[in-house]
Amino acid sequence: MIVSYKDTLKIASITIISFCAVFVCTLFLNFNLDLADVGNEITSPATQSLYDAQVMTGKVVSSLAGGCLLLTTVVLLCFYVGHFIDIHQKELGILKALGYSRFRIAREFWTFGCSVLTGTASAYLCAHLLMPTFYEVQNELGLLPAFEVHFHPGLCFLLVFLPALFFALLAVCYSYLKMKVSPLTLLRGKESTKIVKARKESDMPFLQELGKSNVRQRKSLVFFITFAIFCFSSMMQMSFSMDELASEMMAFMIMGIGIVLACVTLFLASTSVVKANGKTITMMKVFGYQSRDCVKAVLGGYRPWACFGFVLGSLYQYLLLRIAVSIIFADIENVPEYHFDIPAMLIALFSFIALYETVMFCYTKKIEKMSVKEIMLE
Amino acid sequence: MIQLENVHKFYGTGESRNEVLKGISLQVGDGDFVVLLGASGSGKSTLLNVMSGLERADEGTICYGKTQLEQMTDKELTEFRKNNIGFIFQQYYLLPNLNVDKNVKMGAELAGNKEYRQTISAVGLEKKVHKYPHELSGGEQQRVSVARALAKKPKFLYLDEPTGALDEKTGRLVLDYISKLQQESGFTVIMVTHNQNVAEMANTVIRMNSGRIVETWQNAEPKNAYEIAW
Ligand SMILES: Nc1ncnc2c1ncn2[C@@H]1O[C@H](COP(=O)(O)OP(=O)(O)O)[C@@H](O)[C@H]1O
Ligand SMILES: [Mg+2]
Repeated sequence: MIVSYKDTLKIASITIISFCAVFVCTLFLNFNLDLADVGNEITSPATQSLYDAQVMTGKVVSSLAGGCLLLTTVVLLCFYVGHFIDIHQKELGILKALGYSRFRIAREFWTFGCSVLTGTASAYLCAHLLMPTFYEVQNELGLLPAFEVHFHPGLCFLLVFLPALFFALLAVCYSYLKMKVSPLTLLRGKESTKIVKARKESDMPFLQELGKSNVRQRKSLVFFITFAIFCFSSMMQMSFSMDELASEMMAFMIMGIGIVLACVTLFLASTSVVKANGKTITMMKVFGYQSRDCVKAVLGGYRPWACFGFVLGSLYQYLLLRIAVSIIFADIENVPEYHFDIPAMLIALFSFIALYETVMFCYTKKIEKMSVKEIMLE
Repeated sequence: MIQLENVHKFYGTGESRNEVLKGISLQVGDGDFVVLLGASGSGKSTLLNVMSGLERADEGTICYGKTQLEQMTDKELTEFRKNNIGFIFQQYYLLPNLNVDKNVKMGAELAGNKEYRQTISAVGLEKKVHKYPHELSGGEQQRVSVARALAKKPKFLYLDEPTGALDEKTGRLVLDYISKLQQESGFTVIMVTHNQNVAEMANTVIRMNSGRIVETWQNAEPKNAYEIAW
C-alpha cells in the first residue's frame, strides 16, 4: 500500500470542503425534488410565483455553492497529490526502479477518493437530519401545499458516490501524469524542482523581493488564494443580501461555507509556503529579521492577489444577485431594485482583514517557535 | 569585548540529557581573530551558536561589553543579532530563489547599507550578480555568503567551518577574502574549523574537547591564507 489511510486523513480540508458542498446541495436539491411533487397542486398565481422563486433559489444556491466548492476540491486534490509525490519521490522512484509500472503505482492513489466519500456521506446524513427543520423554515407561512421529506436514491448516488468516484479517478489520473519522469529523477529527489527566475531585474526592498519570488515559484497558489478570497467575499456579502431576499437559514449556510472555504485554503496555502521557505526563514532569523517580518515577506506577495479576489467577489455577487432578483421576482410587483449593499461590503471587508491578520499572527507565532538548529541540522 | 563566564548547555531531558558545554569561560578582544579547534562533536558549533545569541545558554553569562545576552527577550536577541552579528556556515544557506544581488541585499538592508555592490565586488563576484545560487560553484556560493554577512557591517563575524565543503584552492581564496576584509573593517572574527593549519591565521586559538576548553594560545605572527599549509 503506497498511500495509507493515514495520508488520506491528513487531507481533512478536502473532506471539509466536500462536506460543505454536499450538505448544501442535498438540502436544496432534495427540497426541490420534494417540492416538485406538489407542484401541480398549486392553483393560485401568487403561490405559483412563490413556488417558482423557491425552485430558482434552490438551483442558484446549489449550483453556486456546489460549483465553487467542486472547483476548489479539484484544485486541492491535485495540489495534495502533487505534494504527496514530491515528498515521497524517493520511495516512488525505488518502486519504479524495481519495475512497478506507472499505472500500478498510480492505481494506489484511489484512496484519496475515500476522504471525499467521508465528507460527502456524512454531509448527506447531516443534511437529512436537518431536513425537517429546513422544510419548515422554507415554508414558514404555509403558503405552499404541505409536502414531506422523501429519500431520493438518485440524488444520493449523484451527491455521495459520484463525487467520490470522480475524485478517486482524478487522483489516479493526475498522479499517473505527475509520475511521468524517469525513476532516476525521482530517486535524485528535490534537486529536480526548478527555480523560476525573475524576468527582469528590479530594485525593490529585499522583503518585497522575497515575496515576489515566492509568488513566482508557486503560481498555482495565486489562483488558490485569489479564488478563496473571491468565494469568501462573494458569499459573505451575498449572505447579507440573502437575509432580505430569502431565508435566514440560507444566509447562515452561505456565510458558513464562505468562512470555512477561506480559512481552509488560506491556512493550507500559507502552510505550504512557510514550509517550503523553512531554510530561508531560518536564515533571516539568524541574520536578525523579526518573525513578523519573515511572515510578511514570505506571504506578502500574495496580498495583492487576495485583495483582487475580494474586489472580484464583490462585483460577482452584485451581478449575480441582480440577475437572480430580476429572474426570481420577475412576475412579482413591488420588489425593490437590488442595490449594491455597502454596509455588507464593509462587514465582509472587515472580516477579511481580521481573517488575514489572524493567519499572519498564527504563522508569526509558529515561526517564533521554529528552532534555528532543527532546520540547519536537516 | 566578548566575555563568557561558566557557560553550560544541555540537550535532551531525563536519561538522554547530554551536557554539551561543561563550563566554558573565555574572553575575546575587539578586532581579534579567534579560531576554535576541536574534534567533531566536541561542542564547537554549539559554543558558536550560544555565543552569538542563536541559542540560549542553560547556565552562565555571556556579555558583549555591558550587554548581557541571557536577560534579553527573543525579540531583543534578534535585534541584537541584527545590529552586531554576521554568520557564515559550512552549507552556505543562500536563499535559492533569489539571485546573488538579492542574497547580499538581505544582509545589507538590515544595516541600511546601500553600497553593498562594493562588497560583492570585494569578493570578486561582480560578474555574477544576476546568477542564482544553483548556477554557482561551491566556492562562489561561499563567497556570496561572505558578502552577505559582511554587507550587514557586523561587529562580530561568526564562521562555522566555512571551508569545510571547499577544496584547497577555493578554501584559501575564501579565507583570504575574509582576512583581508577584516583588516580593512576591523570586525572580530570567531571561526570554527577542524583544519589545524587554519589556526595559524588566528591571533588566538582555542582548543575544545568534549565540551571543555583544553588549551588556549596566541600566535605572535599570524600567517595569511596562502602561507599556511592545507
Ligand atoms: N539539537 C541538539 N540536540 C541534541 N544533541 C545535540 C544537538 N545539537 C548538538 N548536539 C550534540 O552536541 C554535541 C556537540 O555538537 P556540536 O556542537 O555540533 O559539535 P561540533 O560542532 O564540535 O562537531 C554532539 O554530541 C551532538 O550530538
Ligand atoms: Mg559543527
